[in-house]
Amino acid sequence: MRVPRSERILAYVILIVMAILVLVPVLAGSVTAFKPQIIWVSSPPTWIFEPTLENFEFVFFTRKGWLFLRNSLIISIGSVVIALILGVPAAYAFARFRFRSSKALMQWLISLRMIPPIVVGLPFYAMFLYLERGLGVGLRDTFPGLIITYQTFLLPLVIWMMRGYFAELPAAMEESAMVEGYTRLGALWRVVLPVVWPGIVATAILNFIFAWNEFFLALILAGNRTSTLPMSAGTYIVRTRVEWGNLFSVNLIIMVPVIVLTIILRRQLVKGLTFGILE
Amino acid sequence: MRVVLKDLVKRFANSDRAAVNNINLLIEEGELAVLLGPSGCGKTTTLRMIAGLEQPDSGRIAIAERDITNLAPKDRGVAMVFQNFSMYPTMNVYDNIAFPLHAVKMKRGEIDRTVREMARLVNIDHLLGRSVRQVSGGEAQRVALARAMVRRPQVFLMDEPLSNLDAKLRVQLRTEIKRLHQDTGATFIFVTHDQEEAMTLGDKIIVMNNGDIQQAGTPHEVFFAPRNAFVANFVGTPSMNMLTGAVSQDESGGIRLQLPGFDLSLPERFSRGLENMTGNRVIWGIRPEAIKLAAEPGENCAPGEVELVEALGSRDLIFVRVAEQLFGVIVDALESVAVGDNCHLHFAAAQMHLFDAESERSLLNNLPSAVPPSQWGGG
Repeated sequence: MRVPRSERILAYVILIVMAILVLVPVLAGSVTAFKPQIIWVSSPPTWIFEPTLENFEFVFFTRKGWLFLRNSLIISIGSVVIALILGVPAAYAFARFRFRSSKALMQWLISLRMIPPIVVGLPFYAMFLYLERGLGVGLRDTFPGLIITYQTFLLPLVIWMMRGYFAELPAAMEESAMVEGYTRLGALWRVVLPVVWPGIVATAILNFIFAWNEFFLALILAGNRTSTLPMSAGTYIVRTRVEWGNLFSVNLIIMVPVIVLTIILRRQLVKGLTFGILE
Repeated sequence: MRVVLKDLVKRFANSDRAAVNNINLLIEEGELAVLLGPSGCGKTTTLRMIAGLEQPDSGRIAIAERDITNLAPKDRGVAMVFQNFSMYPTMNVYDNIAFPLHAVKMKRGEIDRTVREMARLVNIDHLLGRSVRQVSGGEAQRVALARAMVRRPQVFLMDEPLSNLDAKLRVQLRTEIKRLHQDTGATFIFVTHDQEEAMTLGDKIIVMNNGDIQQAGTPHEVFFAPRNAFVANFVGTPSMNMLTGAVSQDESGGIRLQLPGFDLSLPERFSRGLENMTGNRVIWGIRPEAIKLAAEPGENCAPGEVELVEALGSRDLIFVRVAEQLFGVIVDALESVAVGDNCHLHFAAAQMHLFDAESERSLLNNLPSAVPPSQWGGG
């Protein structure tokens, strides 16, 4: 399709404006992360200075950033692994079997993604409190507790994305394996999963990014033992001031893996994100 | 192995009509049976029930006198080739063919020997190291054939395996399937909507429509003695000319048929079927090959004008208008018929078909029954 020159120019103008709007604050903030404390908020802003890693050292060691990084990794990876273990077979079932209300269930799953986190977070908080007091099962401020809660937004995404990948394959692929001596699970394992493997990786990474960025549920349900990186970023905004350099160095630590993963996966991500639209 | 279907019924949730409606069928050991019919007729569903990929709502399926109705696909001793799938994309040709053997934990050396032997049988031994991206559609379907044979099943199920191939390859592979059938001596059940494919391949053709078996018989039987108007119309290209007319009687007691624009005297063999049917409406049919061009009018002739000529190679298919009706007629290409020619069509009495206008059943006497009800037992 040929796009007229005028439309192309317009598109570029809009994209450049949007890129400036998005990137300038990120860039300015990222630069601040390398500024010594004395010029964090100098006015006018200092652009030429000797970069320092003292902010990183401070947040990473003095303020135990390494601990939050570890927590974020445990929670994000743990959540994604559980979401895949539960979601991939569920997606396969949705792609291959028609059962009672299977369509309605799919709609319900996607609607879960539209719920604001506070609607999920508070009931979970109440349930965890009840479990703790009533049954002695402590889930507040634990990794399992957060991993369970994160399933509310990861699982629907895994199921929607993976169902798309499964639905693209001819059913005859497993059926052939089933006639050739395998059970359905055997066929799934030996024939289907190797084919959708790139899809699983894409799904895992996108879900990892969502879990990694998650802030609000962690704010409600995590505590001293399980604080995540995004939560720790919040601690640099205190009532009287903002520790800009420290805040932006944490932000940079949060952003870098996301940016790297997004660049690696940009094609699959667009595909994954548009599945619901094309449906 | 003998395959028996007994009172088989399958309904799908989204349809009020049964996909397969109480069918009974016997396929003898070593037979190449073709399930033939238009799309949605139930042929593929029937095949998938034999494979175990669909569970029948009622009825039994038996292979070699063993009831397999409730067995998993892998335990039925069948192999299947699909229309829209031929190779596992993550494996190369060799691993594809070896795949079913890993399921039975065969020894490596024996696997290697079997894979190479099967590849040789379908002429793909030079492709064994290739990946799925490096084989053509025809080659991929050969891989599927080799993979189906590798466990030496007693029953081969083929679901339109040639439909996605181009015409030349289709004919070529068709011949090879026929040869494989002869070499292995196994029972083949082949599904197709292509009646030419059915004719050339089948020992027995089972014509299906709307979930019912319309007729089961040899290619000759379904072609020359169709049991109803559907079979008559569906089998044969170009298809049979069909007209509705009324039965009457002449002064000497002979039976005549009044058709729009002309009338015919019917041969003796219809006399029993047409007893007490004077005045009734019937469907009269005649194949394009059974009509001859005549220079002069005569008995069982009708005058017409050539409207269209289609070259088929050594023969032409011409369309001749007689009153309101266009007749397809096969003539020798050397007869040089031209559009606008006036001619007389002579209908061969021996090759006329008559069907009841209501039930569409054949009115011929003593039609052979391809599957005598007494043989439906077993299972």
